[in-house]
Amino acid sequence: MSVPRSRILDLLKVQCRIFNHTFNPERLRTGNKILRQRLKGPALAAYYPQKMATIPDLQRAYAAEGLETINEPEDDRREHIRILKARGKGAPKKQRTPNESKKKKR
Amino acid sequence: MSMFRSKKLDLGGFVNIKVIRDHTKRKVFAEHEPERQALRYIIRNLTLSARTRAQAQLQLTKMHCYTRSTQIRNRCVEGGKGRGVLRDFKMSRYNFRVHALEGSIPGVKKASW
Repeated sequence: MSVPRSRILDLLKVQCRIFNHTFNPERLRTGNKILRQRLKGPALAAYYPQKMATIPDLQRAYAAEGLETINEPEDDRREHIRILKARGKGAPKKQRTPNESKKKKR
Repeated sequence: MSMFRSKKLDLGGFVNIKVIRDHTKRKVFAEHEPERQALRYIIRNLTLSARTRAQAQLQLTKMHCYTRSTQIRNRCVEGGKGRGVLRDFKMSRYNFRVHALEGSIPGVKKASW
């Protein structure tokens, strides 16, 4: 006793409808594999550490409220430069025009 | 490419041009990933017409190389090195060693028995 193919297909169709499957008797590739994949972009983009707030950022944020923030390395640098300039050992002033720098060379 | 690069530096930690470039590629890839996946779906879908699929193939190959995930390379977040990077710690082998011996990586200890 053999069952005709059309009958089996009908059965398959009903089965797919009941169990919420896709009816694809020719077994064509529908590319659903790609739709099922998760997006990995956000995870990849978060690889490097994000920029954090710096002391100048804090200073800018609290300057409006009249609060002062101490930036010790920057203060030390300013102090060092001030001492150098007082001894006459500071960096030279920047040239304004190209002619000026040429004259100095000769 | 500089047109994708953010105008203001948005990275903390170690920064050099290679790290900035890789970070830019990551952001561009994340932005274009849905588009790429949609095109890939069209290409793989045999129920669509051959013409549509060929057009999708052309469109996918025409996209900028920065939108490809293969352009992304894991680099060391401590020193920017591209080789010998341990994926679990995002660090190159030497930086990993230094930090592990310092004890600054939780759960990592030098083996001794």
